[in-house]
Amino acid sequence: MDQAMIEKITEIVVSKLNDQPEEKTSSQEGVKVWDYNSEKPNVTQVSNGSRQAEEAEGKAKISTFHTPEKQIDNKETKAPKQQPDKEVWDDLKQLTNKTPARIGVGRAGPRPKTNTWLQFRYDHAAAVDAVFGKVDESLLEDLDLFTVKTKVTDKESYIRRPDYGRRLSDEAKKEIEGRCRHAPQVQIIVSDGLSSKAIDENLEDVYLSLQQSLKSLGLDVGTPFFIEKGRVAIMDDVGEMLKPEVIVLLVGERPGLVSAESMSAYLCYKPRLDTIESDRMVVSNIHRGGIPPVEAGAYLGSVIEKILDYEASGVELVKKEG
Amino acid sequence: MDHNKKEEILSAGIDIGTSTTKLVISKFSLMNTAGGTHMPRIEIIDKEVIHKSPIFRTPLASGNEIDMPEVEKLVLSQYEEAGVQSSDIKTGAVIITGETATKSNAEEMINHLSAHAGDFLVATAGPDLESIIAARGSGAYDYSKKTNKTIANIDIGGGTANIAVYRYGELLGTCTLHIGGKLIEMKAGMIDYIAPSVKKMAKQLGAPVQEGDRFEEATVKPLTDYMAGTIAAMLKNQLNESEPLLLGHQPGWEYPIDVMMFSGGVSECIYHEANCEATDMYDDIGVLLAKSLTEHPDLANWEWIEPTETVRATVLGAGTQTTEISGATIQVDEDTLPLRNLPVYRIPFDGGFDEQLVRLPQLIEEAVEIYDPAKEGQNFALYLADLPLLGFKQMQSLADTLVTAVRKKPKQQPAVIVLERDLAKSLGQAIRIQHPDQQAVCIDQIYVEHGDYLDIGKVLQSGVVPVVIKTLTFH
Repeated sequence: MDQAMIEKITEIVVSKLNDQPEEKTSSQEGVKVWDYNSEKPNVTQVSNGSRQAEEAEGKAKISTFHTPEKQIDNKETKAPKQQPDKEVWDDLKQLTNKTPARIGVGRAGPRPKTNTWLQFRYDHAAAVDAVFGKVDESLLEDLDLFTVKTKVTDKESYIRRPDYGRRLSDEAKKEIEGRCRHAPQVQIIVSDGLSSKAIDENLEDVYLSLQQSLKSLGLDVGTPFFIEKGRVAIMDDVGEMLKPEVIVLLVGERPGLVSAESMSAYLCYKPRLDTIESDRMVVSNIHRGGIPPVEAGAYLGSVIEKILDYEASGVELVKKEG
Repeated sequence: MDHNKKEEILSAGIDIGTSTTKLVISKFSLMNTAGGTHMPRIEIIDKEVIHKSPIFRTPLASGNEIDMPEVEKLVLSQYEEAGVQSSDIKTGAVIITGETATKSNAEEMINHLSAHAGDFLVATAGPDLESIIAARGSGAYDYSKKTNKTIANIDIGGGTANIAVYRYGELLGTCTLHIGGKLIEMKAGMIDYIAPSVKKMAKQLGAPVQEGDRFEEATVKPLTDYMAGTIAAMLKNQLNESEPLLLGHQPGWEYPIDVMMFSGGVSECIYHEANCEATDMYDDIGVLLAKSLTEHPDLANWEWIEPTETVRATVLGAGTQTTEISGATIQVDEDTLPLRNLPVYRIPFDGGFDEQLVRLPQLIEEAVEIYDPAKEGQNFALYLADLPLLGFKQMQSLADTLVTAVRKKPKQQPAVIVLERDLAKSLGQAIRIQHPDQQAVCIDQIYVEHGDYLDIGKVLQSGVVPVVIKTLTFH
């Protein structure tokens, strides 16, 4: 599902929620019966008694985005709760097992069931949180990564001005100059990109496993650091300054409704300001439901080794391999 | 492996059955099927049979022995005809089936062939495995993956009938019966041989059939009719434990069977009657048995479909369906391969990672007790099942615990670790860093069960290893 569709659906949901109180209900325990067959849907209120409830204060409101991180494993809650009879269920399961898409979830009238609906809202909210959240600083401290910024000042401009996310701020350049080793074989950089959650969830395992892999290959690794609000091409700016042979950028992917915590590793041989996109390569979909993070780290080591062997990356590498 | 690049390997299948021996050579194409942004996933994308041998009579030296030099000569002559060398054969299986598996030199035979007829040719035997391989070769397995029907493949050869039931590509069960063409043999119109199981059955039926009698359809047909009825009862899960034709365990599939297909020598006479008109070709009851099966009213209750292979189902299964490919990101010490006949010791992690990690040394000690009680150095594969998603630190402690425990074994051996989840490279890497002197074979994306046997071939160009899983060998 693409972003536009999500936005459209959200819009419809919000307008529905806003509309509701106008059909004033006098009893909270009443049940609304919708007549879907007539052209103009019409609602009958079935009251279940005389008890008058107080009018609800306010209405359901979409909160502002900074909700605290929840300790809910939404993969677990996705398991279907009701099981129809075995035979039918088995057949359906064969199909649903093939995709994380929301198929075979049933319906109530023309709407999704409440659980499906809530799950959808939850996943959507998680995606939004991932974009607007911040990476846990203690994680960066643990991994010994110092933080620098791009030319972006706030999230709004990060989204509106992708070009700002591709260049380091002047302070950042100074700090990198002062703290990083020049011209290593491999430079690791990390950025939150469009999902801070992806970094929180996967960085430790990918990063440590990658370091271990590079060590066992005997490669020389530069001083790694974290770039706040960066985009993929930020590696060009870093490459221009530090002149490493290979840069690997671990960055949060644009979140979706299947996973809001997916991370990518972008790799490039000698990225400089004149690097073209076809020279970049990526290992994407690194998260608990995709490529296992530790395995991704180990695999990245062998990709870097290959890039160094062929002195090329991306399409150029494919050409050289023949 | 590089994108869009194909690797081709040769695979051989050899089936030494009760009455016939055959061989196929096929060419597998391996390719990375994952998208450019994913970790590689090497799969067999094409299997092409490049040589099918004629159907030979199985060379027997005496009633109780297989003529080993003759079988080997036969195999090598077929290689020559196909223009391949033994050393070109990178994977495949030799299977010894039916009554032949009970011959006194069966095990020696099959091990000899597996060592001499290819780089990595796996020795297989056992009625369950025979059923599975036949169902894969006949097309029953593929059919079950394409439809939502439960299918039984009934492979009837000279000595045994091997049944395997599949649903959605999943094996629901197997069963083996003493039903086959060569259980009664004729010579010059006289009954020359009756297998002990059939004698017992004839006695129960009160059928007056004896060796030395003149062969008459009227007297023998009741016996083959009974065999057909037994197959019907077996399909319905209604077989008695005392059934004289039952070999091994009772059937026990939990779904009713929708469709069935026959493979094996006798099936040729079911689907292609014309090929079988010469009753005396094998001088046995194969033709009569086929007739009984076609006519039996109980068997008409199921939908019959034709297999893609009849008489060559098992050999095709052995040659094209036994090889699996490991995950592409693995870590192996190449000089330890190939490894043959490793029993699988399953260590489940569903009870919690930390708890099981503590128990690991003890479990490995138990495995040594089971598989190497005489401390002769029989290695085994540790299958870590239901592993949760491990983080880096957990992976380090798992690697350390494993190596420490494996080193307590009486003989120093490569640690063979098989995983379901795609984690082998990181585990292998952790072992290599922590214990550089420990040889290890870490492979993943292989699904095995406790008690299975495993053969692991040499690393292919694509960086994967061929793996053959055997549910049971000699028993």
